[in-house]
Amino acid sequence: MFRVICHLDMDAFYASIEQRENPALRGKPVIVGAPPTQRGVVCAASYEARTFGVRSAMPSATAGRLCPKGVFVRPHMDRYKEESRGIMRILAETGAVVEPVSIDEACLDFSSACQATDADASLRLAVPIARQLKHRIADERRLTATIGIAANKLLAKIASDHQKPDGLTLITEAEKVAFLRPLPVRTLYGVGKVTEQVLHGAELRTIGDLQDHGGDLRALVGSFGPRLKQFALGEDDRPLELGEEIKSISGEETFLQDTEDRRVLRACLKEQAADIATKLKRHRLGANTVQVKVRYGDFTTLSRQITVEDPITEAADIYRLGCWLLGREHLVSRPLRLLGLGVSNLYEPTLRQLPLF
Amino acid sequence: MKFSIAKDQFASGLQSVQNIVSSRTTLPILSNVLLRAEGDRLDLTVTDLDVTIQCDVSATVSRPGTVTLPVKKLFSIVRELGSPELEVEVDDRSVCSLRAGPSFFKINGLPAEEYPPVPEFEEQRIVAMPQEVLGSMLRKTSFAVSTDETRYVLNGLFFSLKEHKITLVATDGRRLALTDEEAEIDGESQREFIVPTKAVVELQRLLHDKGQVEVRATENQVAFMLLGEDGHRAQLISKLVEGTYPNYQQVIPKESKERITLIREELLLALRRAEIMTSDKANSVKLSFSRNQLSITANSPDVGEARENLAVNYKGGDFGVAFNPTFLLDALKALAEEEVFFELTDELSPGVLKINGPFLYVIMPMRMN
Repeated sequence: MFRVICHLDMDAFYASIEQRENPALRGKPVIVGAPPTQRGVVCAASYEARTFGVRSAMPSATAGRLCPKGVFVRPHMDRYKEESRGIMRILAETGAVVEPVSIDEACLDFSSACQATDADASLRLAVPIARQLKHRIADERRLTATIGIAANKLLAKIASDHQKPDGLTLITEAEKVAFLRPLPVRTLYGVGKVTEQVLHGAELRTIGDLQDHGGDLRALVGSFGPRLKQFALGEDDRPLELGEEIKSISGEETFLQDTEDRRVLRACLKEQAADIATKLKRHRLGANTVQVKVRYGDFTTLSRQITVEDPITEAADIYRLGCWLLGREHLVSRPLRLLGLGVSNLYEPTLRQLPLF
Repeated sequence: MKFSIAKDQFASGLQSVQNIVSSRTTLPILSNVLLRAEGDRLDLTVTDLDVTIQCDVSATVSRPGTVTLPVKKLFSIVRELGSPELEVEVDDRSVCSLRAGPSFFKINGLPAEEYPPVPEFEEQRIVAMPQEVLGSMLRKTSFAVSTDETRYVLNGLFFSLKEHKITLVATDGRRLALTDEEAEIDGESQREFIVPTKAVVELQRLLHDKGQVEVRATENQVAFMLLGEDGHRAQLISKLVEGTYPNYQQVIPKESKERITLIREELLLALRRAEIMTSDKANSVKLSFSRNQLSITANSPDVGEARENLAVNYKGGDFGVAFNPTFLLDALKALAEEEVFFELTDELSPGVLKINGPFLYVIMPMRMN
């Protein structure tokens, strides 16, 4: 069966909802988040505000400087969640298999409804369906969405980022390699700041550079190498994640050479923490236990964990506790072959203690 | 070494120092108290290498000398003795003979030379104040110190001695208690440091309602010298927590929308009742304000709910905010004032509990997801 995957991304979701609710905000640079006079960050910005360089997660004070005419609106999370539920309902009614990726993103599998003689003909069958879906969201919710269509999750997501807002992009199997060529390596799933730096260090800047790279990428990025090469060629066989209950989330990295270099280990933990935090957010979970795992050259493997009072959701906290565990137990007393970080004891926090700092 | 001493004196001295002995120490001598008999007094010292406590009590010394003895055993013996006076004699092999009326004990000690040296403290004193004042300041803040061992710098009480003021701050990242007092601190001895929790707990135990306390500090140690009215001294020396304390001033709200006067005892009791209906996963109470009324509710899906209304002087609009009841109760219990003032803005902004005096307590709300 040919795979047909759509990635749907709502355009400036929070800001668009605010503009829909309050006509006076339409056409204005709307910044959802803390007011610029207070400590706090931008949650979302309308496209009008983005032209001034305002981005989400930016300190509100900076946003206020970049966009002095910006209209700051306090977030109404309840409203956004309600809206998200409404949109997810519409998606479910299409008959597709739906993976909710975040509050304003979802991945849809239309494979069973779109089968033709070859892969690209199958993908083309999804175009009118996607267009109809956009119309329905516009009619019923008065919001715009951008949809990417491709044969896998990786490409569908890249397609949905390609033309925003209100876009619809199809990446066919025939065109995918050429489509990816000019894009920066960072575009690929799994390439964060650290991996990007490593790749840049080897003069690999675009996905095309990766496609043309003759050597073994494992020399640069370890066990991620073969998968990175597949991603660069637009191949991805990850299935949709369909919300079965998650017990734990973890990642581990086997180093090319055993290492006790603190910088390498910290960078590794930081990346793992970021990945874990992203997954926690996607599933709206908090973790009460953090664990680290180390394996030495002789394959002795140890793991240590700590359980905390307030559920953890942020990468910085996962990283901090990971470092703390390694330090407390003097685990890096000799070079490591493998380093792993994970969280467990997960549940959906209904209540969250807000931090002072 | 030979001396005689009143049972009560000896017991109170041992009581002051014995707490910091750790039961799982690797160095056996750290289970001992160092005794030094000299002149008309007996000095007692105990250390766990981080915190050291020394005190002196009256004794009649017939042969001066030093020894170390297991402090828990010694304290148990002295406490259980039937007669008011006891005699202590130690031979060259550090074996102690203790006689009190019909009772006789032989205790094996270790020579004083093997005891870790007590830190020398040459530093000038920074500030002197009545013990009662420092005790009250500790009571108003120490409950907010973090017990999260992964946040090392918060595992202590922050002391700021500057600008003619002594300020104490404690926080665990979710609430923050602050109090200050005017004090004479000259320009050169202005200091800021973090005193570890264990030392704070012991200091609170040592402080009395009468007498003075002097504070001295070096780069990595602090000493509190307690001068009793009877002329006896006790001293606590502690290592300081290394690291930079968070910038606490920036989390203290400069203004708030509402200031509500509440009767401390009334609020405390109502919160205690509501707290019963909280659970691990629903550990919050909601305070809902409406005209002249505060409604306190707790709600745990698996347990049930509690609701209670208090009459308050409130004229603003209706709003509600949720807090961890333990955080509120900690502060209300530590205070003695009849009235407290709760400054609030909305359900996401910090609340500030104040009294008619130099104290404030910032507490972050809990948010429903």
